[in-house]
Amino acid sequence: MLNKLKELEDEARSKIEGVKDLEELKSVKVQYLGKKGKLTGVLRSLGSVPAEERPVIGQKANALRQELERAIELREQSLQDLQRQEKWEQERIDVTLPGRPAAIGQRHPLTMIIDEIKEIFTGLGFQLAYGPDIETDYYNFEALNIPADHPARDMQDSFYITDQYLLRTHTSPVQIRSMERQAPNLPVRIICLGKVYRRDDDATHSPMFHQCEGLVVDRDITFADLKGTLDLFAREMFGPDQRVRFRPSFFPFTEPSAEVDISCIMCGGKGCRTCSYTGWLEILGSGMVHPRVLEVSGYNPREVTGFAFGMGVERIAMLKYGIGDLRLFFSNDLRFLKQFS
Amino acid sequence: MRVSYDWLKDYIDPGISAEKLAEILTLSGVEVGAVEVFGCDLPQVVAGEIVAMEPHPGRSNLTLVDTNIGDQTLKIVCGAKNMQVGDKVPTAKPGAILPGNRIIEETDIHGVTSPGMLCSAQELGLELGSEEEILILDQTSKIGQSVDQLLGFGDQVIELELTPDRSDCLSMLGVAHEVAALTGRAVKMPPMSVSESGEALPGIFKVAIADSKLCPRYTARAVDNLTIGKSPLWMQLRLLKAGIRPINNVVDITNYVMWEFGQPLHAFDLELLKSSEIVVRRAEESEKIVTLDGMERKLTAEALVITDGKRPVALAGVMGGEDTEINDATRKVLLEAAVFNPTSIRRTARCYNLPSEASQRFEKGVNPEAVIWSQDRAAFLMHELAGGQVLKGLVDQNEAPCQESKVEIDPLKINQVLGLELSKDLVIELLSRLGFKVKETGAGTLDITVPLRRSDITIAEDIIEEVARLYGYDKIPVTLPRGELLGNVKSYEEKVHDLIRDILTSCGYHECITYSFINPAALSSLRFPDEDSRLNPIPVQNPFSEEQAVMRTTLLPGLLKTVQHNYSHRELNQLLFELGAVFEARALPLEDLPQEKMKLGLAVTGQVPDPNWVNPSREADFFEIKGVLEALFKRLQITEVVFTQEAMPFSHPARCALIKLEGETLGYVGQLHPDVAEAWEIDQPVTVCEIDLQLLAEKANLVPRVEPLPRFPAAKRDLALVVSKDIPAEKLEESIRQAGGDLISQVKLFDLYEGKQIPAGKLSLAYSITFRTDEKTLTEAEINQAQENIEKALFDLGAVLRS
Repeated sequence: MLNKLKELEDEARSKIEGVKDLEELKSVKVQYLGKKGKLTGVLRSLGSVPAEERPVIGQKANALRQELERAIELREQSLQDLQRQEKWEQERIDVTLPGRPAAIGQRHPLTMIIDEIKEIFTGLGFQLAYGPDIETDYYNFEALNIPADHPARDMQDSFYITDQYLLRTHTSPVQIRSMERQAPNLPVRIICLGKVYRRDDDATHSPMFHQCEGLVVDRDITFADLKGTLDLFAREMFGPDQRVRFRPSFFPFTEPSAEVDISCIMCGGKGCRTCSYTGWLEILGSGMVHPRVLEVSGYNPREVTGFAFGMGVERIAMLKYGIGDLRLFFSNDLRFLKQFS
Repeated sequence: MRVSYDWLKDYIDPGISAEKLAEILTLSGVEVGAVEVFGCDLPQVVAGEIVAMEPHPGRSNLTLVDTNIGDQTLKIVCGAKNMQVGDKVPTAKPGAILPGNRIIEETDIHGVTSPGMLCSAQELGLELGSEEEILILDQTSKIGQSVDQLLGFGDQVIELELTPDRSDCLSMLGVAHEVAALTGRAVKMPPMSVSESGEALPGIFKVAIADSKLCPRYTARAVDNLTIGKSPLWMQLRLLKAGIRPINNVVDITNYVMWEFGQPLHAFDLELLKSSEIVVRRAEESEKIVTLDGMERKLTAEALVITDGKRPVALAGVMGGEDTEINDATRKVLLEAAVFNPTSIRRTARCYNLPSEASQRFEKGVNPEAVIWSQDRAAFLMHELAGGQVLKGLVDQNEAPCQESKVEIDPLKINQVLGLELSKDLVIELLSRLGFKVKETGAGTLDITVPLRRSDITIAEDIIEEVARLYGYDKIPVTLPRGELLGNVKSYEEKVHDLIRDILTSCGYHECITYSFINPAALSSLRFPDEDSRLNPIPVQNPFSEEQAVMRTTLLPGLLKTVQHNYSHRELNQLLFELGAVFEARALPLEDLPQEKMKLGLAVTGQVPDPNWVNPSREADFFEIKGVLEALFKRLQITEVVFTQEAMPFSHPARCALIKLEGETLGYVGQLHPDVAEAWEIDQPVTVCEIDLQLLAEKANLVPRVEPLPRFPAAKRDLALVVSKDIPAEKLEESIRQAGGDLISQVKLFDLYEGKQIPAGKLSLAYSITFRTDEKTLTEAEINQAQENIEKALFDLGAVLRS
């Protein structure tokens, strides 16, 4: 009998090991431990065993039952592990596939520069100011000390609507409008960003473009303040290592006037094609507000002084983003625009 | 203004290199555009003297020229005819390299070996004489000396880019004064003491000015017994450096002196004048003159003319007449130096499209001091270089004598404006270097007398700039303005616009900026009815082209042009927006400033997102834009928006909505009419939208209000129904909300189907309804009751529920 048990054990163990899946294991379990199973059969047939052998055989058989149950349990565990491993393997993804596209648009590059300029100057306590695109001759020229037939009108070929109205050729009329609105209160500290129009159209000129105008009027505003403000602007816009150069120049509405250069973005000032081998790039015009301009706007030039500056937004954007053709801004070509998203 | 560095040395020795000079000029406000080297190296080209000439044995049109170049005499074959024995000529030896990398070698020319070549001016790179003429060098040229040296090649020409106020630097002497101020060195005047003889001109010649406003001063001198010929080579070369073409000695002298003093001069052939009188007057209507360029010009009363009492002989300050032009036979010359009204000259030069060096100088104002100097200097040169006899005296009709301007300034004010602490002595020194006369007053201020050549200096601020630029802008300190802080740096509208940009870009939209002016044909393509104000844009008086002829009344044309541009470049999927103003006149032609209304425009076409392997693409259609608008309205807390079915003139008849906000028109959104899309060459559906940003901003609220989180759980029920297509979705949702009452917290349409299993004319819709109250957890019975009410209401609308 004991031999038979031993045989049974060997047979059952090898079957348990040999099963391929949980289903098979279940049938092996039934085959040996089920109601009609082989081991159960052995226990049932204990009656035919001599009485003195019964306790030993019975004990052995029960022990075997426990052992086989344990073995089946372990086998079940390992089969389950295997099955989960397989399932996960099937869930494998190709991490090199492209990601789900996040559709992000973008502000126009000029808006990006405009935002940046606004941020710099509002941070310095400038208020945003506005004026109309269609201006009167008075605000665009007369009030800015550019009377009819003044040679400075040579520099600006304008789009006229009527003899009295024109598309503003610069944002400077906003200086006058802002001062008129506020006079005689102090200080005036405004920045204006907007569209301006000139009769020019080529790779470096567009009939419509954007300007930024700044104006500060207060007691004791100095040329040194103008230098400090623009020096700070240039470093904020183009990087802390920017060098800034002020050159005397001429604008009818400022005196003294200054043209402002920054060290060339491309070569760092060594001289290259972009800067015509001078190491400098002209970025804006500025100066102390002309006394006549203060006067027509309601301020007494003996009591207050001011400075003003104006710059082309496209120029800043072209330098900052390395854009070669001005016309790209207004073609709104998506192949261009998407490079900013 | 082109300034030859060698020539400049006649008037001042800068003591520094041309490059250094260019740099300090630029930093003092006289911007240098470029420094060019004049001419080039001419290795192996030397001055030779012609010692003998004989005909070529084989060719009668060629000459064998014995040329002494110092160490040897070369027998050179030459085709030119203009040389004589004794002439000094540029001789290219074998191995010489001429401009254009032309290498000269010993060559056999019809059986004679020519050991080199005699050169024309053009072969040396000079725009002088004709190609068939050998350049004759000055007799003083040293035999064997290299020709590039003789011709002054290697001189540097400084090109000035002058601001309009600095017309004083449109002359060599003006530049010399500026250099003097910058370097502290002295200016030398050129020789101009004339030896006069013969009759006194004022006794035999009269000048009358009929319009002294247009011509405040006219002076005349006469030079007799001149011989017209070439001017000396040095003068021709200097004129070339200035960018002026040499013509003959008399004309060259007038140009040369103009370059020296900035005063344009004109020479008439005195014997061709029909009287002994010059009358300066406005032209008569339909009077004519043939100008020096051979063109007949019809004149108007706008133009100022110089007449000989009988007929116009010059367009004053702009161009002389052909009839009295200096010619080879001219013996007697009347020299004009005048002052004309800048505006009048500018108008005339514009009107006849005749900008010239002379008109440019008159337009900016000439130095009245230089009028007589120029006369004397030119007469001096005509005597020296053309053998002329200068008649005694000068006719000077001066109707408005000029005075030097005086400016008073407090040195304190200079420091106050510049943020500096300059001593009074330094200020006086800087101004004196400019040739300004400075006198201290008892009151501590300075009385400054400005020389006539600096007519741009009239007020104290001008003096401040002069002090600043001579002191050096770079030495002025860097400070920040101090003062009161201001609030309200960004306007409310500005914040709304920023937020709109944020939302649209995060939804995948690309911002565009298009021109404010458009083609009027673009408006017609949008089929506005005649009475639509958008069809009456403000025209630009002088547009570049029809493309930019009128101010936009809608953002649509710019956006459609952009869609078209990108579509034609195979960018089929586009989500675009623009924020910009449209222009509405109250009356045309404009009587006051027009209204500039800020609009938001959107245009979408193609698929969204761009077709890809993982996200299904859908058509960018009406609902694409409507969805974005709804997100926008939600963020701006605008709730009272109604979309009503209404076609626009340019829209698809059945796919467009008018958007109303609290009863006011906010805008529209709709698919472009297929015919309009076709007219714009866009071969796929485009949906557009335009929103009034003023109204939107007015009703918007940027500050979100927060509700507490719900305390009780919600229950969700789905409801599927089949309903007639005629019933708008809005109506169904309204019924659901009404029937559900307070228990409803959300109604969401999650499926819409139309097709096979659904009867024709019907739609299948599926809603997900969320029930919740703030008072308690709803019971199953309460929810069932609400649902039953809803089903009943829907049933009343003719809806059939689907299980």
